[in-house]
Amino acid sequence: MTQSQLDKIRLELRRGVLVLAVLASLKEAHYGYSLRKQLNDNGIEIDEGTLYPLIRRLAEQGLLDSEWQQGEGRERRYYQLSVSGHTLLGQLTEEWQQLNGALSNLLGVQPEEIA
Amino acid sequence: MDLVTRYIAAVQRELPENKRDEIGRELNANIRDQLDALAEQKGELSDDDSAAVLLQMGHPRDVAQQFVPPQPLISLAYMPVYRYTLYMVLGILFVLQIIASTSAWLHSQFGLLLYLKSVASGFIGDACLAFTAITVTYMLLSREPAAAAKAKPNWHPRQLPAVGPGWQTISLQNIFTDLGTYAFLLVMIWYPLWFSPEQLDAQRISLSEPARQFLAWCTPVLLAGIVLNIGQLKQRFWNRPMLMANILVNSALVVILLYLAINVPLLQIKVDVWPYAFDWESLQFSIVLCLLITACFPAYELGRDLLRLKRLASSQVR
Repeated sequence: MTQSQLDKIRLELRRGVLVLAVLASLKEAHYGYSLRKQLNDNGIEIDEGTLYPLIRRLAEQGLLDSEWQQGEGRERRYYQLSVSGHTLLGQLTEEWQQLNGALSNLLGVQPEEIA
Repeated sequence: MDLVTRYIAAVQRELPENKRDEIGRELNANIRDQLDALAEQKGELSDDDSAAVLLQMGHPRDVAQQFVPPQPLISLAYMPVYRYTLYMVLGILFVLQIIASTSAWLHSQFGLLLYLKSVASGFIGDACLAFTAITVTYMLLSREPAAAAKAKPNWHPRQLPAVGPGWQTISLQNIFTDLGTYAFLLVMIWYPLWFSPEQLDAQRISLSEPARQFLAWCTPVLLAGIVLNIGQLKQRFWNRPMLMANILVNSALVVILLYLAINVPLLQIKVDVWPYAFDWESLQFSIVLCLLITACFPAYELGRDLLRLKRLASSQVR
């Protein structure tokens, strides 16, 4: 398998998980750059061109509340989970755990090892 | 910082007007946060540093497309029915153009090349208009997401045709080519009905009377061909009855063409008004050759369908 094929499959694999990661991170309010930093610090690399449009899409779907605030001499848009975002996060977390368990069986490893 | 302003403006140009301010404002805040973080590590930033951050963000058009993904002109849910409509309408226009051009050709008696040009140019003009109208209609329908869901056809597994070889699917192109041929022949046979006696008398070249009478008796074969083609439009799948019907129609066409080639002078030419015509024997010989060559097409289809019928029968036995 070539590197580009591997990259493509990795991208597809990560795409759905990114939504879960972003929703989980936005239990606390974040602005774009701070959210990206938090994700990177937790080992989830995501480029700006993907993250910022993703947050906006989630906000447009009513899953995030947003508010412009002044901080450190600059305005920033802060995002946080809305009520329906919290509900969805709970459902997705449950789904993720089921998938993780099923995949662990298939791959023959413990869930902790996959993570 | 000037680079950032220019970058944001470039992204905004690619966005719909109602989203430009909001996305530009947010993107600006995010990029400046990123540059601040970089400045904390490296000290004062140069234009090159800013340019590197912007390059990492991506081309303004790509970034704009991430924020507002481009919508396909026609929704994927509509695509199969859009293509089907397009082929059907273009096919019908082709048949109508054959009829119109043949009538004009018989009226004016222009040359064969001009006739072909008339068919091609008339069809292309109509096809462009139809293509635009159909595309715009489906484009407008695609803007209604709920309507796209309705576009999905109702179906049941029992309605699906039995498994068969690839040739069993009848292409729309074949159907409309046959329809065009039948329409051409019908106009050729029956044009005296809508021509005045003066117009008929002015014709330098026309079907001979015995040929026209013989062909008039053959009209049911052509009509049967048209009915068969319309049936094929409804069910685009060769089955035994359809193959049998096609064999009968093609057999009749071969017989008709061979009869014309051997027994009846096809054309009559007024040599006095068209003195530069070929000599009579050469012309008749050319016409016989043309008819024999034309007979090869239905003969080929006849052979092909017999073979298919045999294959179909053997696959059903197994």
